[in-house]
Amino acid sequence: MAYESQKVALKYFVVSAIFFGLQVTVGLLLISKYIWPDPLIGFLPFNTARAIHTNLLVVWMIFGFMGGTYYIVPEESGTELFSKKLANVQFYLLLLGGLVGVLGFLFGWTAGRPLLELPVELKWAIVIVALIFIFNVFMTMIRTKKWTTIQGMLLGGIVMLAVMWLFGIPFFKNLTVDYYYWWWVIHLWVEGAWELIAASIMAFVLLKITGVERHVIEKWLYVEVALVLITGIIGTGHHYYWIGTPGYWLWWGGIFSALEPVPIILMVFDTLHHVRHKNLQVTNRLALYWAVGCAIYHLIGAGVWGFAHTLPVVNRWTHGTQVTASHGHLAFFGAYAMTILTAIYYALPKLKGFDQFNQKRGFWVFWITTISVMIMGLAFGVAGVIQSYMWRGLGMDFLTVQGFMRPWFIVVLLGGLGLFTGVIIYIVDVLTLATKKS
Amino acid sequence: MEKRTARSLFIWGTAICTAVFIWLTIDTHTTIPKRTHTDQLTEEVVLGKRVWHKYNCNDCHTIVGIGGYYSPDVTKAYSTRGETWLKTFLKNPESSDPKRRKMPNFNLSYDEVNKLIAFFKWVDAIDTNQWPPKPAVETKPMVAALGDPSQIVLGKNVYNQNRCDLCHKIGDKGGAIGPELTHVGSQRDPLWLTTQVRDPKSHNPNSQMPPFPQISEGEIRVLVSYLASLK
Repeated sequence: MAYESQKVALKYFVVSAIFFGLQVTVGLLLISKYIWPDPLIGFLPFNTARAIHTNLLVVWMIFGFMGGTYYIVPEESGTELFSKKLANVQFYLLLLGGLVGVLGFLFGWTAGRPLLELPVELKWAIVIVALIFIFNVFMTMIRTKKWTTIQGMLLGGIVMLAVMWLFGIPFFKNLTVDYYYWWWVIHLWVEGAWELIAASIMAFVLLKITGVERHVIEKWLYVEVALVLITGIIGTGHHYYWIGTPGYWLWWGGIFSALEPVPIILMVFDTLHHVRHKNLQVTNRLALYWAVGCAIYHLIGAGVWGFAHTLPVVNRWTHGTQVTASHGHLAFFGAYAMTILTAIYYALPKLKGFDQFNQKRGFWVFWITTISVMIMGLAFGVAGVIQSYMWRGLGMDFLTVQGFMRPWFIVVLLGGLGLFTGVIIYIVDVLTLATKKS
Repeated sequence: MEKRTARSLFIWGTAICTAVFIWLTIDTHTTIPKRTHTDQLTEEVVLGKRVWHKYNCNDCHTIVGIGGYYSPDVTKAYSTRGETWLKTFLKNPESSDPKRRKMPNFNLSYDEVNKLIAFFKWVDAIDTNQWPPKPAVETKPMVAALGDPSQIVLGKNVYNQNRCDLCHKIGDKGGAIGPELTHVGSQRDPLWLTTQVRDPKSHNPNSQMPPFPQISEGEIRVLVSYLASLK
């Protein structure tokens, strides 16, 4: 750690970890509802629990990204943060917004749109938080003597994140138009803005732990992000096959989204390249494991799983089944959860000024969570294939087919219990590191 | 590759793809009125969409395949279930079978139910590029004797899937809109039952029973097996 103000990142990381734990807990309830006839239906019906599960995911990831950004920006810009106070205010506002949102769901305060359930008032509140955040980051960056690619990309990512969010705010009368712009938030976040942020964070961590020259890392960052956006923006079309939009999207969406794995394959290669040509003795082996693991998992979850059902001939049958849940879990974990954990396992010891720290627990977290999510993803996948075949292919009744999928939901639950264990260890680890005296 | 080349790739690649995407978006908008027949997008349909949002239906049910995967897709609910069935179901969605996945009763008013159905009706006619697909394989009805126990079990399943209990009573479970079926096997013969399910207005033109076009001939056969066994 080079600057005092980087320390604001600490509380972002802690809350991020705790919300991750809550998300997984609600996930366990959700999968139980698939296995047994709807436990807790009166208090937390499936729709409310799902809204909480997915919004907690977004919130903990945003906390992680913001913490990561606050850690990186002063160091990249070579200056203290513009305002530590604003960063703190913004933290409490976001925390408040997140908590009010989740509590609101329990009382039926919802906009009723999947993943964008937050009521319109809260959505505008989030815009204000985002503006404070962007302002603070921007004001810090303009003090820099030399703009770095990592800075520029990171700023681009958070601005894009805020701009796309605006498309999720209005009420649309037409369902087709509604879902058209719904994907501008959902898809252009995860295959656009978030990728920019994650790639910048990862480039920074790799730069620091491997000591590879900056111009090499930044060149690859450009290539990677260029390909992400070239394939990803028009690739949004793979969500426009069946929602009432024209048939030409089957071609545009199919072709461009089929190329979406290319930048991810490149990312695996350049990560391994940087690690192989490292100029430094790696002391934080744990962060290195997370970084490399992240690249590989990203390729499997987002690249391979995404490709598997992105072509219209396949998607016609798998659309709206658990195949999507399988892809969603593997991709979010590989692309984003692991990026954030990489950042936290890199930055947290630095923030506390530890040159060495006990990495044993962190390695347990690494293996338990990666294996557990893989079990969950595969089981969801099998359930989804069964569902696509019996429900869509054979035209059997929806609920009858759920019975055939039940054994695989039990496997998901087992994987979920594993993940829960891993995340509890992770939270303990983060709290221990965060509260330990320097 | 030089870093400058990489930067150009990034800037130009992003700019061009964004431009193409915006062009496609504008073109898509010109097709929306026809593909979604916006002339029929009445105020009632919009209010129905608000009911759909108010109860957060979309986090359990998918619509055009998007949403929660917990409950059946509703894109074609209007054409496969019909108005009468939807009305009855939405007022009383809780299944009488404790082992089946439950839908809570949201105590919708009649007004809300009507608006929601207007919304479903409008959604049903959106041109979705032939999604959901027609089943690839037609399940052939098994040829077995009418009273065969396996047929009766399958028939009971058809009865549950189509929620016949919303209107009909067997034993002490079910609704009171339609006639009680507890002893229907000794009151009606299989042929009468088959005709009745196929075309509910065949025996009584004023019957309130909705048609069930989604029930296949094979399913009618097993359903009648089940009904005939109720003596």
